[in-house]
Amino acid sequence: MATCTVYPAPSLHSSCSFPGPAKTCLGFQQGQVIFLTSGRRSGRRGGRSSSEISCSAEAKTVVIGLAADSGCGKSTFMRRLTSVFGGAAEPPKGGNPDSNTLISDTTTVICLDDYHSLDRTGRKEKGVTALDPQANDFDLMYEQVKALKEGVTVDKPIYNHVTGLLDPPELIDPPKILVIEGLHPMFDARVRDLLDFSIYLDISNEVKFAWKIQRDMAERGHSLESIKASIEARKPDFDAYIDPQKQYADAVIEVLPTRLIPDDNEGKVLRVRLIMKEGVKHFSPVYLFDDGSTISWIPCGRKLTCSYPGIQFSYGPDTYYSNEVSVLEMDGQFDRLDELIYVESHLSNLSTKFYGEVTQQMLKHADFPGSNNGTGLFQTIIGLKIRDLYEQIVAERAAAAVEAAKV
Amino acid sequence: MATATAGVSTSARGVVSSKAELPKPQLSKGMLRLPWASGRRASSRRLVLVASSPSTPPNISEKVVESIKKAEETCAEDAASGECAAAWDEVEELSAAASHARDKLKASDPLEEYCKDNPETDECRTYED
Repeated sequence: MATCTVYPAPSLHSSCSFPGPAKTCLGFQQGQVIFLTSGRRSGRRGGRSSSEISCSAEAKTVVIGLAADSGCGKSTFMRRLTSVFGGAAEPPKGGNPDSNTLISDTTTVICLDDYHSLDRTGRKEKGVTALDPQANDFDLMYEQVKALKEGVTVDKPIYNHVTGLLDPPELIDPPKILVIEGLHPMFDARVRDLLDFSIYLDISNEVKFAWKIQRDMAERGHSLESIKASIEARKPDFDAYIDPQKQYADAVIEVLPTRLIPDDNEGKVLRVRLIMKEGVKHFSPVYLFDDGSTISWIPCGRKLTCSYPGIQFSYGPDTYYSNEVSVLEMDGQFDRLDELIYVESHLSNLSTKFYGEVTQQMLKHADFPGSNNGTGLFQTIIGLKIRDLYEQIVAERAAAAVEAAKV
Repeated sequence: MATATAGVSTSARGVVSSKAELPKPQLSKGMLRLPWASGRRASSRRLVLVASSPSTPPNISEKVVESIKKAEETCAEDAASGECAAAWDEVEELSAAASHARDKLKASDPLEEYCKDNPETDECRTYED
């Protein structure tokens, strides 16, 4: 990432104070600003007749994309992720109480629903769902994510989920880590290119149905039929616009019904697969025992006793939408602390800073959903991987800056 | 978010109503036993506090009911239309908002909140036997 370098002609008298590369680049995304000097030109500069500021956008923020259905910033994944970096993520203080944004010391989570171009009435009139790209302003999304990545504050609209209207915008300062969460983080190719890492949360239809039943059955007005109808009606748009984003994701967390309990339809015991793309910069997949080989592992045995239905792991290379991937899979539930630590001690490449960090993170949020199965485990591991990625990128940028300063 | 209640504690089996509050970990902070493992006692028929009415704020609850009615009407006319899909999408959006509102309302214990951030203070010290 080049910084802004100034080549002043000696006769330039004006007090040009350039506070820092980022601020100088404000508004000039890519391109050159040329100052023509009126004074004498020095011949020493080999024919250069003007002073130039050469600005190419310098990335300051690490951007992570998370594709998830009907969830915004309040999801468990977000909370685990922000917890790995330390601190709790809160909505911006003093702002709109229905804001979807979450801010912690290092991380800001933006809900992509804020980029809806049509509010609820607008969508009803046009007969489109929120999943439809027509209902979203991708140009604005691209502009603002790019600006934040370059360290520029933006005025981001707010989509109020309660009223269904677009509220007045809120000011978002560029954070160290920006997470964009929503239905379409990888839909637009320009936005996709801005992402340093992307995750897709793929919930299978059976599990989605089971979860929605649990969520909505307590709600007055809902019945099994209405829940089913709601899922069915959204399915065509979901399959057409949201699902295809899977192929672009660096990591996919696939949640499926368990294979350990025949005919289980409660969705309590889950089979979760962590599909990790190979060859992604700054990201090395987690593996079991031997990187690149195929392993099937049941930890419960002589050293570890588990209760029904137990735990099964598998790991191996695979192809996913014509990408080379490694898949780590967990089926079953954790019952006890020692199961968790036992499993952690056998996984490799976790990017933990100390032995037991995964377990510690899981325990910290033992009340979160999924804390006893693969969803919590893999979300935590991805959180640690993102931390590792962030640190690598920061180190790389620091090294590049040192190099540039030497020149 | 669909993950709201999935895969949580095994001790929730004895609960009658799905509106029940998830049993808070009865173990004091800092203990190594996992909270979800606490439900294996013989006396698992303990009384759990059940909310007698939906804990969703009434205005959102109303909206959900209305939207479901409207969606059913719209789809009765033409099940394959964009309007039908948009109507059910609205139901989904409102149900999600209702679920978030319920989570927000869940009475948070002030001491728990405080101890989460300050486990070393006197009030939050725990002793293991």
